[in-house]
Amino acid sequence: MKRFSVVGALCIALAPAAVSAHHSFAAQYDATKQVTLQGTITKVEWMNPHAYFYIDVADESGKVVNWAVEGGAPNVLYREGWKPTSLKAGDRVTILGSRARDGSNLVNALSFKLPDGRCVFAGTSGPGGTGTPNCTVGRR
Amino acid sequence: MTDKSKGKRQKAKETLLTLAFCLLTYTITSAQWHGYKTPGIPRLPDGSPNLSAPAPKTMDGKPDLSGIWQASRAVFDLAQAVKKGETVPFSAEGKKIFSERRATQSKDDPSARCLPTGLPVRALLRTPFKIIQTPPVMAILYESRTTFRQILTDGRPLPEVDWPAWNGFSVGRWQGDTFVAETAGFNGKPWLDQAGYPASDALKITERFRRRDFGHMDMEMVIDDRKMYTKPWSIFGEFILQADTELIEFICEENERDAAILQGQQR
Repeated sequence: MKRFSVVGALCIALAPAAVSAHHSFAAQYDATKQVTLQGTITKVEWMNPHAYFYIDVADESGKVVNWAVEGGAPNVLYREGWKPTSLKAGDRVTILGSRARDGSNLVNALSFKLPDGRCVFAGTSGPGGTGTPNCTVGRR
Repeated sequence: MTDKSKGKRQKAKETLLTLAFCLLTYTITSAQWHGYKTPGIPRLPDGSPNLSAPAPKTMDGKPDLSGIWQASRAVFDLAQAVKKGETVPFSAEGKKIFSERRATQSKDDPSARCLPTGLPVRALLRTPFKIIQTPPVMAILYESRTTFRQILTDGRPLPEVDWPAWNGFSVGRWQGDTFVAETAGFNGKPWLDQAGYPASDALKITERFRRRDFGHMDMEMVIDDRKMYTKPWSIFGEFILQADTELIEFICEENERDAAILQGQQR
């Protein structure tokens, strides 16, 4: 992830996690249903009240499905070291998130794992939104 | 050149490159005044803010609360901000409303529709607010939702309210080194927090701010709403001065899409 500065990303990874949300996490997402999405970013919406990232993910049969990924508020992410251009269409990432209760292809991101293996915070307001970013399912 | 000296040169080269990269990164992360050194802040020899320096005073000798502040601990549930061992003294009506909100996962929180958050939780978010202190008014600019409050300090009393407001009406005065703000005239619409602690039009809030030193300020907020609670109760917060940054715009309505799909029941 060349566009992610080494120091900046390290700062993100080491920074105390911050939480901010404009809505109840539990009303929209299920923290017990974590999913790991590995794929290619197709679109970034760096907008309030949450940054959104869209990612193409191939399922076991090879069919590509586009998922929406809700991140933290842009102001919170910015203070953590993110920039509007930190991720761009075409970037390969692995995202750990909690699935939406309505069963749609939507997750609330806990963390982003970059191609070089570093794990960065995603600004979630849900469980796991504090402490050190962790990209391992079941460990928050 | 020996292998040893080659190694030293290579190491020095790598160190310089790393330093240059760090400087470049610092420039990038200083964008939009985030990272720009705030003038007038006492600093330690290494340039970092001296948060333990004495609190500044205004010309009239009162503490100056001006600055950008942020809660040392983010709280979405006010139960986490009461004194240890204390509980919220619900009235029967208050308990009923709170229980309904918990059962539906706070899906109906007006905040989810980008309407104002209650003053208690707004103070304790993990986003900063800026105080601008002048003789006739203490203005609070919240990064959250890009909202503001004004606490009038020109000696006027609380108004007779015929048009209640989301933020109520605030007046303030000094009690020694403590700034006391009283707020009433609420419309009963905002929730006190995201957990769902209710408030009615009978709500009165008293805030006490005390700037301990340059970098730390304590707040006690007394919540008095005899419709929802049987007696006044307090939450507490500590704020840390945020040096070398500025407020960031937050327009909640820009891309709000969650409110329509919030659900109240576990599947």
